[in-house]
Amino acid sequence: MAKEFTVPPVVFPSGGNPGTGLQQRRLPTAPFQPPRSANLPFMSFDVGSATASSSFSAPVFGGNTVGIGGTGFEEELPLLEELGINTRQIWRKTVSIMNPFRVNANLHEDSDLSGPFLFLMAFGLFQLLAGKLHFGILLGWVTVAALFLYVVFNMLAGRNGNLDLYRCLSLLGYCMFPMVILSAFSLFIPQGGMGIFIVTAIFVLWSTRVCTRLLVELASCGDEHRGLIAYACFLIYMLFSLLVIF
Amino acid sequence: MYDNLGGQAGVPRPPLNPQPTPFANASYGAGSGFLRAGLGVYGEKILGSSSEYVQSNISRYFSDPQYYFQVNDQYVRNKLKVVLFPFLHRGHWTRITEPVGGRLSYKPPVYDINAPDLYIPLMAFGTYVVLAGFLLGLSGKFSPEALSLQFTKGMVGWFLQVLLLKVSLYSLGSGEAPLLDIVAYAGYAFTGMCVAVLGRLMWSYSYYFMMPWTCLCMGVFLVKTMKRVLFAEVRSYDSSKHHYLLLFMALAQFPLFIWLCSVGA
Repeated sequence: MAKEFTVPPVVFPSGGNPGTGLQQRRLPTAPFQPPRSANLPFMSFDVGSATASSSFSAPVFGGNTVGIGGTGFEEELPLLEELGINTRQIWRKTVSIMNPFRVNANLHEDSDLSGPFLFLMAFGLFQLLAGKLHFGILLGWVTVAALFLYVVFNMLAGRNGNLDLYRCLSLLGYCMFPMVILSAFSLFIPQGGMGIFIVTAIFVLWSTRVCTRLLVELASCGDEHRGLIAYACFLIYMLFSLLVIF
Repeated sequence: MYDNLGGQAGVPRPPLNPQPTPFANASYGAGSGFLRAGLGVYGEKILGSSSEYVQSNISRYFSDPQYYFQVNDQYVRNKLKVVLFPFLHRGHWTRITEPVGGRLSYKPPVYDINAPDLYIPLMAFGTYVVLAGFLLGLSGKFSPEALSLQFTKGMVGWFLQVLLLKVSLYSLGSGEAPLLDIVAYAGYAFTGMCVAVLGRLMWSYSYYFMMPWTCLCMGVFLVKTMKRVLFAEVRSYDSSKHHYLLLFMALAQFPLFIWLCSVGA
């Protein structure tokens, strides 16, 4: 009986928990005070930054508008002219290539690579419409073809060969224009028939004739090797026609 | 007083003016002359040495590439006849020589039908690639990658042909033929290949007639040409060994042609 009475005093120390509860009550009051003290500097910082941003924005905008308006727009060159692309010359060269029987070689004295690049992109776009992705292949093949034509022409011309690779690439690219037209036409002509071969032959001969004529007239001495140069050009454009036909 | 001052001021001006002018002229003239002389001397030395070095190296490894492109329409036409129909070549197979600078050299292709050129091999190779593209396209297997593969195959074939001719000539005791000569002779094989592939394009069964025929023609052409090359280089003529190696060279054309003309296989 006396032993049974000793067990309840053990329960009494657990009753001491309210004492710890009192300590807990003291703790929450302490953390409340620091945020209150922190709020004031936060608000002061916000006010300061707001004033700073407002002060910075006004003069910056003013300065920018004044500077741009004053010097840039009035004296700036057109973008194409700054990049060196002569659109009028490209158009004139393209029109001269349109006529396969009388090509104005004087227009092509100044070589450029903007027209050829445009033609190759157009060619690639038409191939893309036909479901073929040939952009990289076109650029690679044009470069190799230009090197091939450059070597053949300068070797045939001998000591008097004055055709440089830049002009060779330019002429080859401009004479790709009939190939671009062929690529557009091939979208509407049935692939498996004989018609596509006949149309291809016409456009390849057109390209070959124009390219040979320009090469012979621009480079000083190529008249005695006209046929040999024509065959090299024929091979090049036939190779590009394979991309269109198949 | 004023008049005297004016006179004194006027007097020293004339002698001051000419003094700097001759100095400037002398210094400028001397400087330009000295600089010109120096540049001339150094320029000549540098250019002379570099050109000599380049020329010596080029002449060591290659003969002049320009020689192989001295062709015209007539030569190309006649040479194609000789390559494609060697039986009908009635003239001799010896190259024409001419004395140049105390040393015998061959006449350029435009004057000698038997001289090798590089224009026909290059054009034949290009035609071979284009015809292979057509063949691939008609059989439905065309793609730029397949055509590039055919191009590479052609280059490897050309290299193997050059290797075959070079090794044969070395084994026969003649290693003096210029490399570009061998490259040209090897490249003529593509002419026959173009005819065979073209026949296949027209009518597929004609391939079995054109292929052996072009192989035979190429074999005969090589035998006659190499025999002349050997005779020009090696005075002693071991007939049996030479004949066997020439026959081997001719027979090697058959597998090479079959491999290169099997487009899309």
